[in-house]
Amino acid sequence: MTMPTLRRSPRSLRGVSIVLAFLFAFPGLYLVWRNISTDADLIGLLRSDRTLAPLWRTLKLAVAVAASAALVGTALAWLTMRTDLAMRRVWRTLLPLPLVFPTFIGAAAFIRTLNPGGLANGLFASLGLQDPLELRGFFGAWFVLTLFTYPYVYLPVAARLTRLSGSLEESARVLGDTAWQTFRRIVLPQTSAAMAAGTLLVFLYTISDFGAVQLMRYDTLTRAIETNYLAQPAVAFALSLLLLLLAVVVVGGERALGPRTAVADSSRSSRPVTYELQRWKIPAQLFVLLVGGLSVGAPMVALTDWAIDGLRRAWFNGRPLAIDGAEVFEAARNTLETSVLAALVAVLAVLPIAFLVGRYRSRTGSASHAVVIATFALPGILIALSLRFWALRFGAIGEFFTDSKALLIFAYVVRFGSLAMGITLIAVQAVPDRFHDVGSTLGASRWRRLRTIDLPLMAPGLLAAAGLVLLSTMKELPISLIVAPLDYPTLTTRIFGSFEEAFVAEAGIMALVLVVMSAVLSWFLVLRRAEHR
Amino acid sequence: MHIQLPRLRITAALLVLALLGAGCGGDNEPDRSVEGIAADIFGGNCVASTDTTVTIYSGRTENLIEPVLDAFSCETGIDVAVRWGDSAQLALLLDEEGDRTQADVFLSKSPGPVGFLEAEGLLATIDESVLSLVAEQNRSDAGSWVGFSGRKRVAVYNIDAVTEAQLPESIFELTDEAWRGRVALPATNGSFVDWFTVFRDQAGTDVATQWLNDMVANDAKYYANNRAIVEAAGRGEVDIGLVNHYYNYQEAAAIGEDHRALNHDLGDEDIGSLLIITAATVTGASDNPEEANELVRYLLSEPVQRYFTDDTFEYPLADGVAPADILPPLTALEIGSVDFDALGGGFEETTRIIDASGIANQ
Repeated sequence: MTMPTLRRSPRSLRGVSIVLAFLFAFPGLYLVWRNISTDADLIGLLRSDRTLAPLWRTLKLAVAVAASAALVGTALAWLTMRTDLAMRRVWRTLLPLPLVFPTFIGAAAFIRTLNPGGLANGLFASLGLQDPLELRGFFGAWFVLTLFTYPYVYLPVAARLTRLSGSLEESARVLGDTAWQTFRRIVLPQTSAAMAAGTLLVFLYTISDFGAVQLMRYDTLTRAIETNYLAQPAVAFALSLLLLLLAVVVVGGERALGPRTAVADSSRSSRPVTYELQRWKIPAQLFVLLVGGLSVGAPMVALTDWAIDGLRRAWFNGRPLAIDGAEVFEAARNTLETSVLAALVAVLAVLPIAFLVGRYRSRTGSASHAVVIATFALPGILIALSLRFWALRFGAIGEFFTDSKALLIFAYVVRFGSLAMGITLIAVQAVPDRFHDVGSTLGASRWRRLRTIDLPLMAPGLLAAAGLVLLSTMKELPISLIVAPLDYPTLTTRIFGSFEEAFVAEAGIMALVLVVMSAVLSWFLVLRRAEHR
Repeated sequence: MHIQLPRLRITAALLVLALLGAGCGGDNEPDRSVEGIAADIFGGNCVASTDTTVTIYSGRTENLIEPVLDAFSCETGIDVAVRWGDSAQLALLLDEEGDRTQADVFLSKSPGPVGFLEAEGLLATIDESVLSLVAEQNRSDAGSWVGFSGRKRVAVYNIDAVTEAQLPESIFELTDEAWRGRVALPATNGSFVDWFTVFRDQAGTDVATQWLNDMVANDAKYYANNRAIVEAAGRGEVDIGLVNHYYNYQEAAAIGEDHRALNHDLGDEDIGSLLIITAATVTGASDNPEEANELVRYLLSEPVQRYFTDDTFEYPLADGVAPADILPPLTALEIGSVDFDALGGGFEETTRIIDASGIANQ
């Protein structure tokens, strides 16, 4: 077990963390500045029912989604990683996929498939159901967001489960615990850190989401922010600050609940235990089928329908698509290169802070950690504007970086570093102390220990963290529009351009390309390795 | 067992083939690809590059305007660099960048963001020769913007739920009991906000506010944007909605017979028939005002205006270009008395009114 030591953290590590935290704080500082410069009256707004009502709805939704995503994500991770579920290798690739749907088209695709008159109409009718589902309001938003965000819990928990050695569980079983008791007393405590990290991300994502709640016609704080950017900027910035404060409170609260140290896996000698489902086989299968089918299948049905309609028109009715292969290829290539880079840089950027928090009891570390994670609650457009703001203030250096891919990567890292933070922290904590002790006794320097002990053991966690950042970056929109170099399309920006003007076929095709790319990448980079243990 | 890898490879391969196939149109039909359309707009040989670049921030999507920009570069030799995005977000960016912006031209999907930038003093005056290409009401008195295409407000309705006899002639009919719970409004969407501001200007704030409150009391439904309403009407989820006209053409072309919705024009004199213009502006900080004006002039040239009406189903605004046959004719109110200039700070009040009505909760 890695307990934070009482040793003072190295100054260099603290220094690096402070610099990193400052960089991640750019959007927050910008927001405070804008509140001051527009004379925003946050207190006054808070007294108004027009703010309190959407705020309450935001909170309600976020708590509900966090709870259901945690449940679903953990259950799915358990079923696909530790049981004898059929086709579990296929599910491991498919289940993280909902992460990759941009919400503005993902939610629309859900509506197109499941709502009255939608594509699933025929199927429902044959089952004797007439218009069973209308996704809208609180229910619609909760439903769709749960299905989009459970991967935030699924990925870290699944990564954790593959690392747990089975020895503790085997002992428990031998000593008479049932499977459920083993799960509750052995497995759950060891994965609770991963669950908590993922659930926190779900909460923060939900309070900042706009695309899905708007299409579901559920009036939250983000709607009030969006509609006021041009009309009443002071209100928009004040409400955004409110979101940030909410995030800081929640993140701070989570830390205060006690540092949950991950019990380190002691050795590689024992493989994780696989449980047999027996009479739970059918219910479990149905559950996975239902969730996977809905979260991946329902949007895919709509996207494929749009895409096929468009292709059919292009080939047979002489109405060509507004995009061609070369443009899609260019967008796909851009998406790939920036996402992979952003993922790598994000993990590197959070590592120092993760070490600081995971190994040493450092206030600097905790504060930096909180800054990084709270940033996730800020709408992407604010992060984009803030970086533009800062670039303009850094004179010649700023000019140099403006309009460059470097600034774009930086923006992505600030936006999504929080995703890497939680998993990386757990990975750091999972390296047993005694390995370090042994290593230093044998004379290895700090760097050598890092290279030969820490990094190999942390690898699956780091890859999961990188994978999470990668998938999120691929679907990102506002930063890709505002901060990217000129004439630098990504798949998501092109999907947006097409979809908003009802070029649904073009949008559908490109969305399919995005999904396939993500599936291939996530299998390649993350899941394939996770299996070779 | 690596079953899924070949499956993924095959799917990927199929998709790539499909995309390549999409690039090839039929040989006998007119070439409607980006290159083909650009060639339609300007069919001559391309002029050598003049080493100048016009930078555009465009709230108008690339699918709709890329052929025009390609033709422009070909015909004049001026290169074009574009930042595509959402009109409101680009306006925010321009405001943030101030006089350090790289943009020479800003194209907005609706008047609101232009009004915002004008109030911030970020727009330059467009050449008189360019301004004179459109009628007076479609350009700024101060010369800071010019409209280059128009989108008409209409009512899209589900043909199974609403018969032709039942179709309303005025938006004021929609507050009747007969329409309870059946009408959709994209109440926070840019073009609706702009339309509502004109409504207030024409009919008075009290009348407009009363109408909106009556609609809320009549259980009008709130939808995110025009496209969502058109799609929902096509499925039958909602019976009727107030949108911009050209979405239905796109959606119907994409989905075909399953899309059970049509556009209906409200009465000629009714505010519900308003023409909303898309505007082109030149930024005050532009380093290339000449080339910027060239581009705006090009948008108003006859071949490009023809393209806007024939290919993207919008209304041309340049004098002397008639709308495509498929479009309903414009009449008095639509090309008449609206002074977009006067709207200025009206958007803030509009947003307050819309917020207060509670429509976003429906």
